[in-house]
Amino acid sequence: MSSHVRASMPIQPQPVETAKVQVRNLDFYYGQTRALKDVSFNLYKGEVTAFIGPSGCGKSTLLRVLNRMYDLYPGQRAEGEVMLDGENILSPDLDLNLLRSRVGMVFQKPTPFPMTIYDNIAFGIRLYEKLPKSEMDARVEQALSRAALWNEVKDKLNASGLSLSGGQQQRLCIARTVAISPEVILFDEPASALDPISTAKIEELIDELSGDYTIAIVTHNMGQAARVSQYTAFMYLGEMVEFDETTKVFTSPRDKRTQDYVTGRFG
Amino acid sequence: MTATALQGPSAAHSSPMDRSRALGRLKFADNSFRLLTLGAAVLVLVLLLGVLVSLFVGAWPAFREFGVGFLFSDAWSPPKEHFGAATAIYGTLVTSLIAMLIAVPVGLGIAVFLTELCWLPLRRPIGIAIELLAGIPSIIYGIWGVYYFRPVMQSYIQPFLISTLGNVPGIGFLFQGPPFGYGVLTAGLVLALMILPFITAVSRDVFETVPTVLKEAAYGIGSTTFEVVGNIVIPYTRVGVIGGAMLALGRALGETMAVTFVIGNATKIQSSILAQGTTISAMIANQFADADPGLFTSSLLALGFILFVITFIVLAAARLMLSRMQLKA
Amino acid sequence: MIAASYSRRKTRNGIWTVLAYAATALGLSMLAVILGTLLWNGVGGLSLDVFTKNTAPPGVVGGLLNSIVGSLIMTGIGLAIGAPIGILAGTYLAEYGANSKLASAVRFINDILLSAPSIIVGLFVYQLLVVPIGHFSALAGAVSLAILGAPIMVRTTEDMLNLVPNTLREAASALGMPRSLVIRHVAYRAVMSGLITGVLLAIARMTGETAPLIFTSLGNSLFTADPRGPMSALPLIIYEFARSPYAEQQKLAWTGALILTFAVLALSILARVFSASVRQK
Repeated sequence: MSSHVRASMPIQPQPVETAKVQVRNLDFYYGQTRALKDVSFNLYKGEVTAFIGPSGCGKSTLLRVLNRMYDLYPGQRAEGEVMLDGENILSPDLDLNLLRSRVGMVFQKPTPFPMTIYDNIAFGIRLYEKLPKSEMDARVEQALSRAALWNEVKDKLNASGLSLSGGQQQRLCIARTVAISPEVILFDEPASALDPISTAKIEELIDELSGDYTIAIVTHNMGQAARVSQYTAFMYLGEMVEFDETTKVFTSPRDKRTQDYVTGRFG
Repeated sequence: MTATALQGPSAAHSSPMDRSRALGRLKFADNSFRLLTLGAAVLVLVLLLGVLVSLFVGAWPAFREFGVGFLFSDAWSPPKEHFGAATAIYGTLVTSLIAMLIAVPVGLGIAVFLTELCWLPLRRPIGIAIELLAGIPSIIYGIWGVYYFRPVMQSYIQPFLISTLGNVPGIGFLFQGPPFGYGVLTAGLVLALMILPFITAVSRDVFETVPTVLKEAAYGIGSTTFEVVGNIVIPYTRVGVIGGAMLALGRALGETMAVTFVIGNATKIQSSILAQGTTISAMIANQFADADPGLFTSSLLALGFILFVITFIVLAAARLMLSRMQLKA
Repeated sequence: MIAASYSRRKTRNGIWTVLAYAATALGLSMLAVILGTLLWNGVGGLSLDVFTKNTAPPGVVGGLLNSIVGSLIMTGIGLAIGAPIGILAGTYLAEYGANSKLASAVRFINDILLSAPSIIVGLFVYQLLVVPIGHFSALAGAVSLAILGAPIMVRTTEDMLNLVPNTLREAASALGMPRSLVIRHVAYRAVMSGLITGVLLAIARMTGETAPLIFTSLGNSLFTADPRGPMSALPLIIYEFARSPYAEQQKLAWTGALILTFAVLALSILARVFSASVRQK
């Protein structure tokens, strides 16, 4: 299958120093079961990294380590090193809320809060800043514009977030995430629950957001990975099998398993 | 897409330092909320302990004075300060037994009707009506009982029972005595009516957990409706039904208002269930106002303690059964 | 052979069917009779006086004003005490405690309290708040009502919060939101109707209780709004007037019973409406 990679900026191999996130020898356990085995890779600043692999390979698990979402559930633990700007986020006395304000997440299923569209955005901002109404209005508009949703909702900011269509709800969730200016954004199969038109809009959005944010996206859609990312990681059975520039992974992968997966021999 | 999308890296509007500070301020409130919920939960535990302890402390003078004999003595003489719980315990157990003997079969019958026989459009309305009825305050049953049911008992039912069952050897002693309308049987029947909606609702809920495929399989091989009920529904829900019945029993044992109007408030045990009697809660309700502090009040509190222990055991057993039912489903 | 046994089975089925119909007819008709007599006797006494005049000795035209007001006040205070405890405890069970030993113990005890004899609660509050203070009070009555209403709200709150999908919680946590804010601003809001259901059901229960009030608020023939002293309540006055030898007081007992039943049924129906709207989401 042909992989169509957008020719945006020429991709230069980045020196390790501009890696926003460095993962070294990461193991993850659900109880006694080892779900991630000795995973190591980098997320480069301002780049989009896609995580692909068959169901159950651990890509979502990996994503949820990056903002320590697993911490909400007892019995799940991670071992190894995950460095965000040189700081190990796996350390037990890390302020999780602060971490999550820097590493945002967009989920597979759109989850607008049971509030107005305006409050959905303002809610996160209010957590960290006390703003007068005029400034808050501007910030909400800014976030919604970034998520390419402003024109569609600017006249109904007081409508419930749940009144939007699926694709709009997902863009609302993205707006909500960028509103608090994170440094890294994690997308966990953000378009898998959406129709093709909404999916295209989301992909466009991710492409625009890259550059300003470091992005990691988990997807089971290889075309999407090829379209949207500069780096791709192929995972299989909890291992990071291959990590390289997207063009290389899709056109000349080093590992046979990668080759088999991207050519569709299994999935 | 607006021009803002092409801007350079978005400036972080608040630095990590500011955020850290903002989150730090929230930490206290966040922890306080958690402690508040914990405190409320612990309060629930403490409450039960408190009830147990306070009842026992108040009852202790009576227990100390009368010892274990308190449970078996049917004495009740305030002037002589001689008290015993037997009459009340007997009445509590017998009225509840009568109530269960009537309400359980009838309730199960209605539940079967609602789940298997009833014309479909009527099922929901009747079901809702039953659930609403379960919430009617017990005093309503009491007041109806004393104005309408007692005269009927006195004029028709009790004389009927005396003249028929009263002559049957072996059980005749249960149906003796002048028909006043009041009595243990009357109270038991009113109690039955009171717990009927509850048993029906619980049984129906439990019956509805039977997977349709199971019933369809039985119907498919030609079972009649009641063969399905007897062979599939009841065995599947047996634990839940028993649990629901025990829950109803727990409520019946502790019921005051439905019973106190019609039971007659006698202080001696009599063999006939048509005779007057009393239950623990009726006795407490009727005598507390006149009880002077000391052994009298202490004896009433002792009665309360005994009732609490009995209902606790029944309710705990009921819960055990119902939770096992949940696991299965 | 098969035909014979089939007709036997059919007969048996027929008998059971008749029994089931009979049970339903018996049960439903008896309950209908009770409601019918309630309406019949209660409606006749309904008048403006009932709501504007206080309870009076026989011979004087009276009403139920002080009792109705007393019920409202005591239920209100009871709710103010019991709702925070019930909702917070339910929150603990759903959000923080989960499957811990403490949470399991609390659930067990709460289930016991749900069906515990209300007269016992009355005795407890009597020991706690009437004896030490030296006199009966509406406050004591309200506390006993709170003890009876809180377990309902604990149960409903926990059940409702368990319906909130984890993804919603995660989405809020992913913004860096501390746990308590996730609960208060997202989870509570998502199931607000359900929480209200619990409150309404608790109010319905508290309004209908008689026995605990006998030992705590006692009753009062005068109009009073002071919770520190004895106060009348609708169930209490029904209890008193129903045993009275005077016809006009008996009549008021029925009217009071009708008002009480109507209030409880209205609250229960309202609770169902709210509960249904949660499920629709």
